[in-house]
Amino acid sequence: MRFVAAVLATGSLFATALPAHAETGVSSSEIKLGITLPLTGAASPGYNKIGDAMNAYFKYVNDNGGVYGRKITLIQKNDEYSPQLSIAKTNELILKDKVFALVGPLGTANFTAVHKSVGLARRGVPSLFLNTGFSGFANKKAYPTSFAILPSYAMEAKIAAQFLKDNMAGKKLGLVYQNDEFGIDALGAFKAAGVKFDVTIPYTSGTQSAATAQTWVSQLAAGGAQVVVFFGVTSATAPLLAVAAGAKYAPQWILGSVGSDPLTLRALGVPVAVLNGALTLSGNPSPNDTNDEYVKFFQEINTKYNKAAFDDYVLQGMNLGLMTVQALRAAGQNLTRKGLIRAMENKGSTFASVGYSPLGYSKTSNVGHTGYYMAVMDATGDRKPYGGSVVVYTTDSGSGPVVKSTFKRPALPAKGLPTNS
Amino acid sequence: MELWRKARDVVRKKIFFFILLGWVLLIIGDRVDELRVYQGAQIAMYSIALASIVLLTGYSGQVSLGNGAMMAVGGYSAALTLNNLQTPIWFAFLMAILVSALFGSLLGAAAARLSGPYLAGTTLALAVGLPAIANQFTFLGGEPGLLFDIGFPPESFGEEFTQYKWFFWIASFIALISLFITSNILQSRFGRTWRAIRGNSLAAELAGVHSSRMKVLAFTISSALAGLAGAVLAMTISLVAPGAFTLALSFALVTGAVLAGISSLPGVVLGGLILVVIPEIADAVANRFGDADKLNNYLPGLIVSVLLILSVIYTPNGPGENLRKHLRKKATH
Amino acid sequence: MQKVIETLLIGLTTGSIYALMSLAIVLVWRSTRVINFAQAGQAMFATYIGFEISSRSGVFWLGLLFAVVGGALLGAGVDYFFMRVLFKHANTGPAAVVAPVIATLGLLGLIRSVVGLTWGGEFRTIEAPASTDGYTIGSTTIPFSPLNALVIITVSLILIALAILFQRTNLGLALRASAYAPEIAKLAGIRTARTRTIGWAIAGGVGGVAGMLVSSNNFLSPYSLDLLLVFGFIAAVVGGLESMVGAVVGALVLGIGLTFILNYVGTSLVFIGGFTVLILVLLIKPDGIMAKGKGRRA
Repeated sequence: MRFVAAVLATGSLFATALPAHAETGVSSSEIKLGITLPLTGAASPGYNKIGDAMNAYFKYVNDNGGVYGRKITLIQKNDEYSPQLSIAKTNELILKDKVFALVGPLGTANFTAVHKSVGLARRGVPSLFLNTGFSGFANKKAYPTSFAILPSYAMEAKIAAQFLKDNMAGKKLGLVYQNDEFGIDALGAFKAAGVKFDVTIPYTSGTQSAATAQTWVSQLAAGGAQVVVFFGVTSATAPLLAVAAGAKYAPQWILGSVGSDPLTLRALGVPVAVLNGALTLSGNPSPNDTNDEYVKFFQEINTKYNKAAFDDYVLQGMNLGLMTVQALRAAGQNLTRKGLIRAMENKGSTFASVGYSPLGYSKTSNVGHTGYYMAVMDATGDRKPYGGSVVVYTTDSGSGPVVKSTFKRPALPAKGLPTNS
Repeated sequence: MELWRKARDVVRKKIFFFILLGWVLLIIGDRVDELRVYQGAQIAMYSIALASIVLLTGYSGQVSLGNGAMMAVGGYSAALTLNNLQTPIWFAFLMAILVSALFGSLLGAAAARLSGPYLAGTTLALAVGLPAIANQFTFLGGEPGLLFDIGFPPESFGEEFTQYKWFFWIASFIALISLFITSNILQSRFGRTWRAIRGNSLAAELAGVHSSRMKVLAFTISSALAGLAGAVLAMTISLVAPGAFTLALSFALVTGAVLAGISSLPGVVLGGLILVVIPEIADAVANRFGDADKLNNYLPGLIVSVLLILSVIYTPNGPGENLRKHLRKKATH
Repeated sequence: MQKVIETLLIGLTTGSIYALMSLAIVLVWRSTRVINFAQAGQAMFATYIGFEISSRSGVFWLGLLFAVVGGALLGAGVDYFFMRVLFKHANTGPAAVVAPVIATLGLLGLIRSVVGLTWGGEFRTIEAPASTDGYTIGSTTIPFSPLNALVIITVSLILIALAILFQRTNLGLALRASAYAPEIAKLAGIRTARTRTIGWAIAGGVGGVAGMLVSSNNFLSPYSLDLLLVFGFIAAVVGGLESMVGAVVGALVLGIGLTFILNYVGTSLVFIGGFTVLILVLLIKPDGIMAKGKGRRA
């Protein structure tokens, strides 16, 4: 009898020490987050570094007290860019690993499938900072618990269209794009902006290779395209550029932001001479720009906690980590999924981020960054602002105008540790 | 008369067995958490798909690597029917069966003259080529695919009744019925005729069997089953897309069939269990040994491949066959 | 017109690589009556060995040599340790039909996992032994480079060497005899089991060459040879599994056909194009293009 009483007493002691609520994925000492991304497979080069980069920043934060004393655990699941695997892995994250929220899930088709199939909205699972630019995700009614971070492909296409009109009028234009919502998003925006392409080449995701790139190049060359815009993944940019170099076809390249990291392209065999002069849209400073306080700080974290080659994707990943920690802090000590979503809506637009454009989060908007600047790659494969200085243009995914931005980025929190609430 | 009564008894026993199984599943479904329920739906789906392989390869001896493609046909038919014609769900599943049966009969007719590696090659090409068609025609939804939303369980089931549980109920129900029907077909003279053809088609022809017609029939029914499995798969992920029906799926089906006994229908449930459980076990093992990326990504594949090779060498006809041989040996001593 | 010629040239290059793979498949088929799905896996393993050597030494041809040797050793090993065990155990019951298929599929998965565990999944590149800049005729550059020419020349040399081996040497005679009539060959004093292993070794070596050539202008990863497997297999079936010439013809037909579809229609119909070519050929000639009627049954 006394034994039973002792057990009950000890049990109740533990019970009162536990947090009053038991939100999934949150304990007194830990917050569990999940991400699905291609760690291997045809689309993985470059993108597979994002998770580790996020984790490196989380480790730094954990070493410095975590978020209100809770350590962040990031669970990475490899979905090989296949929507089916994304569904299976996300099911594991939510039903088996019981994560608190998803951060940075990668891929347009992937997230569309997951959101519908796993029922993220119905379950109330927050998905922060989607690693995709599909403009459809900005629809708050359809995606009430999700938040973008990248400017949408539609925005990017509009800004590129403006650039084409201002600087490349009269030239023959070619477009190569991934034949799913990713590329079609951009195509639609180009059409709406009145850009006419002389050669358009859709490619099916997964079929990119030297052989298929050869057919792209012969069609582009046959069509006489002098400017070629490319909206696809990095592992498709690479064969396109390499094959074009071999065929001595050298149009003015305009590379979409998602597939243009110079370091990854060179690792995939693109000679640096080909990159020289290629234009690309970007929302962040160059990863080599150590004068930028964010870049400098992230590079230090990378050296201490990550040990990967520092490029666009590592920069992006660490920035996601920074944003996530600010979001978790803003949700307060009593951490709930609903609270996190409210925090994003009310305070998200004030978060510190490496991106140059303003963040668009609000009660009615899931939109993250809203703008890009045009950059050009130089002979060393580094990215420099076109025209010498960064001129950021912002727009929306609809019919709003493209305007020059006067936004000033918030400063990096001291030591890179957010203190917001 | 006596024979008729005996047959009726057998069928009655079988019906009883299946109903009992259904009750057991119902109870299990209530006790188990959502992830397991979801996996249960997957096991049911695999059972139907594996049954199609047992019929086609185990019984009629035709090696096909294209059942994944037939699942795609079924899945897409169901989705297109539901989305464009707004029919009740059962009708969508019916369309899946009919359309894939049609495709199967065409494939069977073309393949009837082929044997062995030529058949394998053709079905391999189909498995690779058919899902890719979705990318060419926009009405098939392209790479992201089509939605297949069968909705939510009725309100009267209460709040606790999740959608995944609903899927489990429907999938199990369909699996039980189709396995029942398939079992009857296999034990009928059709099944016997197929086994005869598999054994020696020349002799079967001499005995009066229309070998090619029976082969086409096998393809037709097998494809119908595969198509139904495809529709069930689409239901569980609320989506039908080319990526769900890769060559790897066709390989996995043949693998599961071999692991569980290629000519044993009861084995399909075991096979489904294996297909769902082994990757999970492999994942757990990989996690125990460390979280190096390489390990996580390739160790599960290694474990599955090794198991497959071992089982195909040592129990090619399924563990049941070895057990039987063992028992027979004991009996004669 | 230029586009037609370009397509033809690209198709020829692609087809010649498929030819190597389909040759390897036919070699194994004729000697063992097994379709070796692991052929591409063996080729991949051999290519990784070649990658290691060529990236350390900087010489492509050295890497190629090691790839051939590695592939041959692996092929012989698979036959000696794996296939013999398989045939000893799995030769009864309905699974006898399907056991070799499953076993080689399992082997493919096994090799892929081992490669992935050893080298990881990152894309590797192998330095091409020739320039990839297209030849310039007058003012136009065609998408046919010295590398493409090298591929075609290499494949042709291998084909000639194999033809000489099979038609003019005692080993070739033994290989053909062991495949066609193993019992009679044994009676004639041929060590059929050892001959078969040699056949597997040759197939493995040829596969290694295919892998190296394909990867020299592309990325190498545990999945990069999957397409080679599918198309090499289809090519072998199209050509009729009984003849080496057929394997080559089938591969060229397939390569050219697929490239035309790629260039004129689009990427998504390529695979179903492969299927269509296959089913059309088999409907007219169920034993493949080069089959001489219903002589030998599968």
